[in-house]
Amino acid sequence: MPRLRLKGVSKRYGATIALGRGDLTLMSGEVHVLMGSNGSGKSTLSKIIAGSVRPDDGVIECDGSVVTIPSPRAARDLGIAVFYQELSLASHRSVVENICLPRLSGTGGLFRNRAGMAAAAAPFIAPFESVLGDGFGLDVPVGRLRADQRQLVEIMKTLAAEPDIFIFDEPTSALDRAQVDCFMTVLRKLKAEGKSIIFISHRMDEIFEIGDRVTIIRDGETVSTSALADTSMDEILRTMTGEEAPGPAVPAVAAAPHVARQPSIKLKVSNLVAPGVNSVSFELAAGEILGFGGLHGQGQSAVLRALFGTAPTRSGDIEVGATRLKGNSPRASIREGLAYVSGDRARDGVIDGRSILENTVPIYALKNHLITASPRSLGTRAADALEQLQTKYQSLFHPISSLSGGNQQKVIVSRWLMAPPQVMLLDDPTKGIDIASKTELFRVLRDLAADGMAILLYSSEDAELLENSDRVLVFNNGRTVRELRGDERTRYHLYHAAYEAA
Amino acid sequence: MSMPQSTSRQRSVFERFPFIPALGILVALLILNGIAEPRSMSYGAITGLIKTYLALMFLAVAQSFVVFSADIDLSVGAILSLVNVVVVVLIERLGGGPDSVLLACLVGVLVGTLAGVFNGLVVVGLRLQPIVATFATGIVFTGLALWVLPVAGMPVPQAFWRTYGGRIFEIPFVFYVVILLAVFIWLAVRTKYIIELMAVGDNRLAAYQSGLPVTRIRIKAFALCGLLSAFAALCIIGDTASGDPVVGNAMTLYSVAAVVLGGTALSGGSGSLLGSAIGALILGLINSFVFFAGVSSEWQNFAQGVAVLVALMAGVLVTRRISK
Ligand SMILES: Nc1ncnc2c1ncn2[C@@H]1O[C@H](COP(=O)(O)OP(=O)(O)OP(=O)(O)O)[C@@H](O)[C@H]1O
Ligand SMILES: [Mg+2]
Repeated sequence: MPRLRLKGVSKRYGATIALGRGDLTLMSGEVHVLMGSNGSGKSTLSKIIAGSVRPDDGVIECDGSVVTIPSPRAARDLGIAVFYQELSLASHRSVVENICLPRLSGTGGLFRNRAGMAAAAAPFIAPFESVLGDGFGLDVPVGRLRADQRQLVEIMKTLAAEPDIFIFDEPTSALDRAQVDCFMTVLRKLKAEGKSIIFISHRMDEIFEIGDRVTIIRDGETVSTSALADTSMDEILRTMTGEEAPGPAVPAVAAAPHVARQPSIKLKVSNLVAPGVNSVSFELAAGEILGFGGLHGQGQSAVLRALFGTAPTRSGDIEVGATRLKGNSPRASIREGLAYVSGDRARDGVIDGRSILENTVPIYALKNHLITASPRSLGTRAADALEQLQTKYQSLFHPISSLSGGNQQKVIVSRWLMAPPQVMLLDDPTKGIDIASKTELFRVLRDLAADGMAILLYSSEDAELLENSDRVLVFNNGRTVRELRGDERTRYHLYHAAYEAA
Repeated sequence: MSMPQSTSRQRSVFERFPFIPALGILVALLILNGIAEPRSMSYGAITGLIKTYLALMFLAVAQSFVVFSADIDLSVGAILSLVNVVVVVLIERLGGGPDSVLLACLVGVLVGTLAGVFNGLVVVGLRLQPIVATFATGIVFTGLALWVLPVAGMPVPQAFWRTYGGRIFEIPFVFYVVILLAVFIWLAVRTKYIIELMAVGDNRLAAYQSGLPVTRIRIKAFALCGLLSAFAALCIIGDTASGDPVVGNAMTLYSVAAVVLGGTALSGGSGSLLGSAIGALILGLINSFVFFAGVSSEWQNFAQGVAVLVALMAGVLVTRRISK
C-alpha cells in the first residue's frame, strides 16, 4: 500500500492554474523525484501535501485512507515535514531555535531549556559537521548565515521534525558538491529506514544519483511516472518540455571561448581586501566570462559583493573601464556600470509586496533618470526583458510573491538585462531556474559579452561554472589559488585546486 | 582580512542583549540630571521618578509583546483608562474596605485582559490592520470608560495610595513592584512562548509553515498586553489616587516610543522586554532633565521632543556602529 497518494489534486489562483491535475503515488523507502520547468506546479503540489495551501479539488490518501490536510500542523500530525523552497526560517532566531521551532510547544513545560534544545538539534547537525563552513554556530542568528548555510539549517529543521514523509523542494539549489554529498548520505539512510521522500531539483546529476522514480509535471499536470533506471536524461527533458526533438533544453556544451579582437580590459582589481577577501587581484577583458570556483564561502561571493559596494569595509584598487571606482556603495558601483545578480533573492533581490513590474524596472529607471514613468511604456520594455528568459507570469501587476521561485529569480535577472551594464557580477544567478531557461540565460549572456560586456560568474553548480566560463579562478580562504584555462576547465582540476592547501 | 572568529561564530553581546544601548542612554541621562540638579539624584527623587513612571514601564512592556509579533496596539492607553475607572468605581460601590479593593483590582486585571483578547480577536480573527483596528477599539474602550465614570474625580481610599506611596521594611513599595516586574521579565524571556512569538514576528508565513499556531500566539500577545496594561492602570491609581476616564490616552504613543528606545524593532521578530522598561525610564528622565535644566514652561514640550529624537538617534547610531 502506498504511503501517500494524490489523485487529481488541483489549485488555481484567480485565472492562474497553478496545478491542474496532480497525481502522485509515494511508496515507503523510495526517493520520488518531481521534475518540471519553472512554474509547472512542483512547489504548489508540495505545499498542498504540507497543508500550507488548500487544494480546490482532488483526493489525498494517507496509508489508504482519505485525509484532508487543512494546516501545516495537521500535516505534521500525519508525519509529514517539508523543506520549503523559499525557506521557513526566522532570521533573528538562532540556528538551534530554528531547528527546534516546530517541536517547541509539543514537549511539556512553560520554559525553554537551552541545553535540551542544543542536544535535540545535535544529531541533525552532525551529518553536516564537515561542510558547515565559517561563521556557522549554534547560537548564530540565521539571518547572518550564507545562503547555503541557511539552506542546510532548513534541511536540519526538516529532519528534526522526524517525519515519515519528507518533501524536499529544491534543497540543494545553493549547496556545493561536498554539501550535496553529505545530504545524499542522509537521504540514503532515511531511505534504508523505510521513509518516503519527495525530492525536487533542477540538477540532473543529483536526480539520477538518488532517485528511484520520477514524476514529471508539465504546465500543472503530472504527465508521467517512471523508474529512473528505465529512463534517460533526454527522455525526461523531452517529457518536461513536451517537445519532440531534444530542443534547446539540453545544456550547452562549453561555449567556445570568445576572444575579443583587441582585448580591452573592462575590470581591473588589485589587492582587494574586504571581510572574507584576502588580497585578490585579477583582470577581466571585454567579452570574457570569468568564473569563480572552489568550495563554498571561500571568498567568491565576498569579492562580488565587495565590488558591488555592499561590504562594510573595502580597500584596494578597482578600475571599471578607464575610471577608478571610488565610493563604496551599490549606488556608486551601479553608476560606474556594475550590476549584481544574487541567487539569494529573498535578501538581495526581491522587493517584497510590490508588483512584478516594479520589481523589473528599478535599475532601468535609475539609469535613465526617469522621474515619472508610465506603466504602459515601461511595461512593454519589462515584458520584453522577461520574455527573453521565458518568465511565466499572470500579469505585470501581480505581486512578485505570486511567482514560482524560479520565475522570481528570472525577474531579478531581467532587472539588470533591461539596462545592460559594463560588468555583470553573477552570484549564483541561476538558483532555482530550470534547465531550459538556464541555457537561454547563458545564451543571452554570451550575446551581451559578444557586444563587449564583461562577466564574473560564481555558481554553486560545478557544471554550470565550467561550461560557461572562459577562465576559472579557484578560491581558497579568501585568496585565488589557481587559474584554470582551456582544457584544464574540468571538474577534476577544479576539485584538485580547491582542496589543495593554498 | 577575514572577520575574527569570535564575532562571527557567536551571537554578539549586543544581539543577545539588545537593551545595552538603552542602558547607556539611561546612565548618560542620570549623569546629566545629576549635573543639572544634584538633588534630582537623591533617594527620594529617584523614588518619586519611579512612582510616576512605573505605569509607563508596565505599559511599555505590555506594548512589547504585540510589537514582537509585528503587530501594534494603539489601545493600551484606553485600556489603562478603562481599568482605572472600573477599579475606582468598583471600590466605591463595594464600600471601600480592604476586601473590596482587592476584588476591584482583580476585576480590573480581568477587564484589561479581556480588552486585550478582544483586540486580538478583532485584529487576528477579522484580519484587520492592527494599527487602525486597535485605534478603533481604543475609541470603544474610551467610550466604555466614559460610561463607567463620565468625569474625572472619585477618590480612592487612603489605604490604596498610602500603600503605593509608602514603605515596607523601610523600602519604598514601588521598588517591590519594580522587582516584581523584573522577575516577570526574567521569567517571560525564558519561556518557549517568547521564541514562538518572535518567530511569528520575524516571518509570519514561515512560522505558519513551521506548524506554529500563529493565530493563538498573536491573540495571546494581545491578551498579555491587556493584562499588563491593567497593572499599569493600578499603578496610575496609586499615583493619582483617583479615577479619570482619559488618564491613559496620551500614554499610548509614549509606550511605543519606549519600546523603540529599548532596542525593539517595530518590524517585529527581535527586541527586549527589559529594554522597553528602560525606555520608559529614559522618557521619564528626559522629562525631569528638561525640567531641571530650567527650560521655560512654554518651551518644555519642544525641548522634550528634541531630547527624545536625540535619544532615538543615539540608539540607532550605537546599534549601527556595532552591527558593522
Ligand atoms: N500565491 C500565488 N498567487 C498566484 N499565483 C501563484 C501563487 N503561487 C504560485 N502561483 C503560480 O502557480 C504556478 C506554479 O507555481 P509553483 O511555485 O508551484 O512552480 P514550481 O514548479 O515550483 O516552479 P519553480 O521551479 O520555479 O520553483 C506559477 O505559474 C505561479 O506563478
Ligand atoms: Mg518551486
